Amino acid sequence: MFDIQLMGLLNATLQAATLLFIAALGELITEKSGILNLGVEGMISIGAVTGFITAVNTGNIFLSVLVGILSASLFSSLHAFVTIILKQDQTVSGLILTILGLSLSALMGKQYVGKKLPVKIESLGNIDEPTNIIEVFISQNYIFYLSIFLMISTAYLLKKTMFGRRLEAVGEDSRAADSMGLNVNKTQFIATCVGGGLSGLAGVYLTLSYVPYWTDNMTSGRGWIALALVIFGGWKPYRTAIGALLFGFLEALVPRLQTYGFELSPYLVKITPYAITIIILVVLTIYKGGRTGAPSNIGIPFFRESR
Amino acid sequence: MNKYLLSKKIVINELSTFYSFLIGLSIGIGIGSIILLTQGQNPIEVFSLMLRLSVGSVKSISTSLNKAIPLILAGLGISIINSVKLWNIGAEGQIFMGGIALNFLYINTEISSPNLMIVYLLITSFIGGAVCILFPAIAKVLFGVNEIITTLLFNYIIIGLTIYLVNGPWKDPGSLNFPAATYVGKEVYLPTVFGRLSYGFIICFLCTIGVHYLKEKSVFGYELRISGGSALTAIYAGINAKQKAFIAMLIGGGLAGLAGGVELLSQTHRVSTGLSQGFGYTAIIVAAITGMRPFGIFLVGSLFGALTIGGSVIQTMGVSSYIADVIQATTLFGALIAQFFFTYKIIKVSEDV
Amino acid sequence: MNQIILEAKNITKSFGNTNALKNVDFYLYESTIHGLLGENGAGKSSLMNILSGIYQPENGSLYIDGEKVKKLNPDIASKLGIGMVHQEFRLIDNFSIKDNLTLSKANIYTNSFHEGYEKYSDIFSLTVNYSTPISELSVGEKQKIEIMKLIFNNNKIMLLDEPTAVLTPQETNQLKISLKKLSKEDGKTIVLITHKLKEIQEFTDYIFVLKDGVMVAKDLETKNVTKNELITLMMGEIKQSEIRKDNQKGTNKLEIENISFENTHSNVPTLENLSLKVRAGEILGIAGVSGNGQVELANIISGIEREYSGKVIVNGKNISNQGVSSRKNLNLSYIPENRLGVGLAPGVSIIDNSAVKDYYKARFGPHLSGNKMLNYLNILIKQFSIKAPNPKAEVSTLSGGNMQKLLMGRELISNPEVIIAAQPTRGLDVNAVEALHDLIVMQRDKGAAVMLISEDLDELFKLSDRIIVMYEGRIVKEFSMDEADIESVGLAMAGLNE
Repeated sequence: MFDIQLMGLLNATLQAATLLFIAALGELITEKSGILNLGVEGMISIGAVTGFITAVNTGNIFLSVLVGILSASLFSSLHAFVTIILKQDQTVSGLILTILGLSLSALMGKQYVGKKLPVKIESLGNIDEPTNIIEVFISQNYIFYLSIFLMISTAYLLKKTMFGRRLEAVGEDSRAADSMGLNVNKTQFIATCVGGGLSGLAGVYLTLSYVPYWTDNMTSGRGWIALALVIFGGWKPYRTAIGALLFGFLEALVPRLQTYGFELSPYLVKITPYAITIIILVVLTIYKGGRTGAPSNIGIPFFRESR
Repeated sequence: MNKYLLSKKIVINELSTFYSFLIGLSIGIGIGSIILLTQGQNPIEVFSLMLRLSVGSVKSISTSLNKAIPLILAGLGISIINSVKLWNIGAEGQIFMGGIALNFLYINTEISSPNLMIVYLLITSFIGGAVCILFPAIAKVLFGVNEIITTLLFNYIIIGLTIYLVNGPWKDPGSLNFPAATYVGKEVYLPTVFGRLSYGFIICFLCTIGVHYLKEKSVFGYELRISGGSALTAIYAGINAKQKAFIAMLIGGGLAGLAGGVELLSQTHRVSTGLSQGFGYTAIIVAAITGMRPFGIFLVGSLFGALTIGGSVIQTMGVSSYIADVIQATTLFGALIAQFFFTYKIIKVSEDV
Repeated sequence: MNQIILEAKNITKSFGNTNALKNVDFYLYESTIHGLLGENGAGKSSLMNILSGIYQPENGSLYIDGEKVKKLNPDIASKLGIGMVHQEFRLIDNFSIKDNLTLSKANIYTNSFHEGYEKYSDIFSLTVNYSTPISELSVGEKQKIEIMKLIFNNNKIMLLDEPTAVLTPQETNQLKISLKKLSKEDGKTIVLITHKLKEIQEFTDYIFVLKDGVMVAKDLETKNVTKNELITLMMGEIKQSEIRKDNQKGTNKLEIENISFENTHSNVPTLENLSLKVRAGEILGIAGVSGNGQVELANIISGIEREYSGKVIVNGKNISNQGVSSRKNLNLSYIPENRLGVGLAPGVSIIDNSAVKDYYKARFGPHLSGNKMLNYLNILIKQFSIKAPNPKAEVSTLSGGNMQKLLMGRELISNPEVIIAAQPTRGLDVNAVEALHDLIVMQRDKGAAVMLISEDLDELFKLSDRIIVMYEGRIVKEFSMDEADIESVGLAMAGLNE
């Protein structure tokens, strides 16, 4: 019995972490290019609702995932256009993107509240109550495995490939990157849209797997957690994954606390990851002389003609 | 050589932020109309209803302005902090903290004079907001920790605290379906004028003038401007830039806290997760879109109050209230886009040899 | 004469209200070193930035090997073989040398990086490993990497913007040898921007001269022109005034005793046991390549830097433990090296900037009088002939000369007792320099003690009554004006003290 409970906790942790991690990874890629996109919450919503609508209407999982990714990516291009091409403030634009994404998705999904999904995302094996770790992993769906693949490939891409080094160069010093002949605007635009696409994937995971239904504001702050995760992870994919597991664990733990007989307030437990993130940030800033891993150029618009 | 070149304008029209907002608003209304059409609604009907119910009578104008109060107060706080080129993304949490601090004082004090009590409560809400930004402010001035991130994270901590309080220690047993704290007594409700308009709006107007004075006409504002322009110049001038930034952050956080206090005493009358509906985030955008000008914040904040009220009343027509949010967001994006054309110009390159 | 490899026709470029370039024609010969001469602000950097695709001109066309260039940005420029070394380096600090050398798409040493790096470290006598991050390199090393970057990108045309500004005379000499090698052996076409005549004459084959955005001379063969001809071309008719040195010197106004300073944040040179005195009516020149502790010294004297040991005495008063305001009360003025960023706050209005020193004189309690500030600015504008049409405009819209006049006017209008002036004329045109020199001499004659920090030896020799040389945080040599000559001061600046 204890095993089943523990495995249930692990299972819930992995599921919660997957969602958070994918969105955070997207934001990480965007921020690596020097663009801060605070609109994650809105982008997840757009991905969630478009994926859900497609699934209900077509019953085609692959198509739904694709639509979710592409529409969130398209949505994020609005932020890219305003901040990169028009050089407007990234903080402001990102916040507007959140408001727009939440309201637009609520409008689009109005007729779909309470609808049942005709399909779901396949897992390796169908196990209702996993009893050991292997079964827990087998019972995860394909997006979980995709996220592991994305983690490894992103880490490799950033550190080991020319493409990744160039992306990072743009985010570190856009003027230097520009004078090296790198296309700053294009790189940032693509990175923003890739980030949006991954947020969309997180959204699809939310509505097609994690809580298989649609309702307004169902992202319930996960986009903001993703932003915190990037900082927690010091802009590194593996550390971000560890952070996602921690946040995911707490999300999974909170509803179970009482059944375990703990007197801790679940609401206060939910605060801890944020407090930990703040502490990590402060400690990193103090001990690494401000080098928290943040791209040096983040938030600064690039204008070649500026002197 | 390329055919076109982008160049920054040297002289920028002083009213450009205002024009940008108007252009944005028309874009917002245009896109709102298209969405209404796709939903089978007549935009003109919907908008005229919105207009009537949000600004059509003294009563509705009062309701709209009441809605604008927290936006304006929090926006003013953000604009003060931005004088030193710092962002406060934590206004949302500070609003809640203002309410929490107020409620804390309320349940722990005997009321002798209600009017004096209101003053104490509001001061406490201001202090609450200031306390909420205290840690980010200290971390910023002492260690240079990015304030965007810390203030943002504090929102979750404070909202978590709110949820804890309204589900635990402060839980009102009478509020069954929606966890909330017990209502405050009627004797500390903010009085109203013209039937509905809260005194909070007067506080709000006074704060607007005060913040304008502080930013533009005072020594403190001058020192903030220099510190914001260049920390090194401030040090060179003998201005303690860190101290000024610290004080500015506390005032800014305090104003957001005050927003929460006023909202509680005039609208919600209790602490709950409904104390702020994203006011803190919208306030950032309102402040930014007006170029951080206090009177601009007052004006645009008021308009947004009306838009929100208009949005909530059209629900009776079967139109989703989210349409108002979409109009708000597209208005803001429109204003950002328009702002580009006020600050940059595109020049055609000639090649005559 | 070699073949023309690049030709720019009728280039016009403006920044806001100022015309940086007016219908400029320019061309380059293959495998040749060209000097682009001109005063600061003449448009040299703008022209190079246009050729390398950073700035877009409003008018003009560009031909490479006779073919018209339809579209230009840094990437295309690099592929066409044009590369530029900017005055402020364009290197990514956190990245390794290797990353910086290979990031560009034009890089041709992708597969043979190690051989390439070895070969050119030899030519440039560079001894660092390629995995070292840029942030750990010295200024001279960074510059070598910048030039190497162009080679790795196979840039046939190398545009070098003031490459010697940050180098010691010895490093400059070494650069000369490397560049000659590159042009003769590798067939590189090189443009060297400078306003130093000596370098132009030693480095180049042909000279082009820009003045106020106009190309006033083209194609001069270096060996056929004299220094004087170049000066006239570059500056027009100048009245290089001699400074009277018969000034009366009074008591010690500024005394510094045994100052030591350790920078805990980075490995910036510390100050070791510095002592000096400046008398009333005297100008003490502080020579040294920038970054040898001059800024730290000035910051200590002006009260900005408080964590040090030793004494600062102004007018007989020991103010070692006091801050900026105590200096203001003793009427000490500091003209910082970094005029926009320290002396003036960018993004803040002209009127706000004009009051930085004396704003407390316009206050009534918490209120700041806008009228008083405006009056004060108007006095400055009049007395120092500053061109500033709109007081509310950002200070960065002023030209460099007017910015410096505003800054110096603000600091000098109260006839200070002690003046610390760091690089007061850097980057300004000759007329502005003359005007600012006159201001300093006027203050000297009024009895101020002046400490003049400068890298410009001409300026130091012209104005100073004594010269002290700083190297790695120490005073390595002191010269009276009779015994000082450029060569020995230059050697002392390089730390080669006999």
